[in-house]
Amino acid sequence: MSADDTPTGTATGTADGDEGVDLADGVDHQVAMVMDLNKCIGCQTCTVACKSLWTEGGGRDYMYWNNVETKPGAGYPRDWEESGGGWQSSDHSERRPGEIPDKEEYGEAWEFNHEEVMYEGSDQPLRPESDPEWGPNWDEDQGAGEHPNSYYFYLPRICNHCTHPSCVEACPRKAIYKREEDGIVLIDQERCRGYRYCVEGCPYKKVYYNAAQKTSEKCIFCYPRIEGEGPDGETFAPACAEDCPPQLRLVGFLDDEAGPVHKLVEEYEVALPLHPEYRTQPNVYYIPPFAPPQHSDDGESIDVERIPRPYLEELFGERVHDALDRIARERDEVDRGGESELLDLLTDTNPARKYRLGVFDDE
Amino acid sequence: MSDDRRAAVVGAVVACLVVTTAAFVPPLVSARPANQIPVESVRTGENPADPTGEAWDAVPPVEVPMASAPSGLPNASDTSVSALRVQAARTDARIYLRLSWGDGTADRNASDPRRFVDAAAVQVPVNTTERPPISMGSTRNRVNVWYWGADDTTEELLAGGPGTTTEFDRAAVNASPRYDDGRWTVVLSRPVASDATNRTTLAVDHDVDVAFAVWNGSNMERAGRKSVSEWYHFALGPGPQGPPYESILWVVAGFAVVGTALVTIQGVRGNRGETR
Repeated sequence: MSADDTPTGTATGTADGDEGVDLADGVDHQVAMVMDLNKCIGCQTCTVACKSLWTEGGGRDYMYWNNVETKPGAGYPRDWEESGGGWQSSDHSERRPGEIPDKEEYGEAWEFNHEEVMYEGSDQPLRPESDPEWGPNWDEDQGAGEHPNSYYFYLPRICNHCTHPSCVEACPRKAIYKREEDGIVLIDQERCRGYRYCVEGCPYKKVYYNAAQKTSEKCIFCYPRIEGEGPDGETFAPACAEDCPPQLRLVGFLDDEAGPVHKLVEEYEVALPLHPEYRTQPNVYYIPPFAPPQHSDDGESIDVERIPRPYLEELFGERVHDALDRIARERDEVDRGGESELLDLLTDTNPARKYRLGVFDDE
Repeated sequence: MSDDRRAAVVGAVVACLVVTTAAFVPPLVSARPANQIPVESVRTGENPADPTGEAWDAVPPVEVPMASAPSGLPNASDTSVSALRVQAARTDARIYLRLSWGDGTADRNASDPRRFVDAAAVQVPVNTTERPPISMGSTRNRVNVWYWGADDTTEELLAGGPGTTTEFDRAAVNASPRYDDGRWTVVLSRPVASDATNRTTLAVDHDVDVAFAVWNGSNMERAGRKSVSEWYHFALGPGPQGPPYESILWVVAGFAVVGTALVTIQGVRGNRGETR
C-alpha cells in the first residue's frame, strides 16, 4: 500500500514509517494537540491564560482564541456550527460558502460596575453595565436531556491548525498561511487587509476580526513559547495546555511516532477531530467524553449511555463508536488487572512526555 | 486694383484662413475620444481639493459605467454601484480627481465583524507607455492605486497582480470626501510629477491609462468584490489640452496643402496653354 492509497485521516495501525501520517504539502512537521474531554472541568483557566497572554485590549476584547463551551449548546460564537465554511468534498477543490458572525453572536465584552461596588460602597450586585442578551457561555451547563438523565460536557476549542485549512485558501492575498516548519496557521499582519474571507472560510470560526487594527487575528499555537522565546530561553507548550489544572492536553507533533499524540491519533485511533465532515483535517484531536449511565425513575443505573451516541457522532464522526468502544475495552482490561498502554498514555502526568516539542529541533 | 495687388490680397486671405482653421477647427471637429477623461487646468484658489470647490463647476464630467470585477471570491458578481462620475483637473503642481457615485448608506466604520466601509480607488500604470492587465497589473507591468476608504483611510498602493497591493511608506495621495443626499463625492489628489521608484509620474505629454473601482460596504463589498470600470485615459497628450506646437504644425500643414494646390493649379493651367 503506497502513501497515496492511504485514506485521509486514517492510521495504518502500526508505526511503519511515514505512510500513516498525512501532512500538508510543503510542511515538514505538524504540531498537534490532544484534549481529553473526560478531564475538562470547565474552569476556563485555559481561556484566561490565552486571553491574558494574547487578547487583552487593542480591539481584541471580544476574542477568545481559546474558549470552552458547553455541549450540547450554541457555542462561541453562537451557532458557529451552522455558519458554513470548510470544503465541499474531500478533494479540497471547492470551498463551502461561509458566513461572518456578527458582534452579538460573539457576545460583546461587558463592562462591569467594579468601580461602584469595590470602591464607592454601592450595595448593587456586581453586574454588567450593559444589558446583554447573549455572550460566551450564556448557555453554560445547560446541556440537554431530561432529569434525571440530563447531560452535558465541556468542549475546549482553539484553532485546529488544519492540514487543509480553508481559511488559507479563502484569502485573496495569501496573508494567512501554514508555516513550513510545523504547520502552524498564521496571519501575516503586514499582508492582512481585514477582508475577513478567512473568518467566513473557517468552519470552526476561529479567526477573528480586529476592528481596531483592521486585520484578522487568531490562535498562534503560542509559537514564541514552543520556539523557546521566553525570558529564560526555555521551551513551553502553549499556555492553554500548560496552565490547565487537570492537565487534559497533550502537545506534540503528529509525525513524532514515539509521542503520545501520534499514538492516540494514528495507532489507537481514539483521539478524533471535531466535525471531520468539514474536511479541513484538524490537528486538534479529542478523546470523546464518557458519562455515567442513565438512571431509571427510581434512581437505579440502567444500561443506557447518558450522552447519546448519535450526538457524539454528530460532533466527531462515525469513528467515535470505535474510539469509545476501544477505550471501554481497555478500561475493562485494566479493571481485570491487565495492562494498557492506551490508558497509560491517557493518565500520564509527566510533563516531559505530555509535551514533546523538541523532538525535531536538531533538523 | 492691379493683378499683383489682387494676388497679394488673395494670398493674405488664404493665409489667414489657414491659420484660423488650424487654430480653431481641430478642437471643434474632434469629438471626445472614447474613454477619455479630459484634464482641465484650474487654479489652486478655486479649491479643487474640496469636493464642492468652485474649480469643479467648469470641469466636464465623464459618466463611467461600472460592473462587477471578475473574481473568484464568493459573491463577486453581487455589486451595487453601476455608474461613476469622474472629473479631472490640474494645477501646475497637482492633479485632482473628483469621483462621485450614488450609495444609499454612508458606511464609515467597520466596528462589527460583518461591517465593511465604502471605498473608491483609482489605478494608473507605473509605466505610462504600456497598458497593464486591468486586474491590478502584473509583476512586469505594475500599477499605482490611490485608495480612499470611508473610515478616513487614504492609501497609496503599488500592485503587481491581484492580491499584491502594498502600501508606499509615505502616501503622496490626499483625499477629501463628502457624503450628501445619497451620494459620495471624493476628491483624490497627488503631485503631478514624481521621481520616486514605482510611483507614476503624470508630468508626461501622452495620454495615461486610468481605471476606477468602487466598493459598497453595506453590500459586504471588499477586496476583489467591487465595481470596476474598463481602462480610461487621462487626456495628457496632444489634443484639446495639447502643447502649443500642435497649432504651429497645423499651420505648416495648412500652408503645405494650399501651396501644393496652387502649384498644381498653376501646372494644369500651364499644360492647357492658357494665357492671360
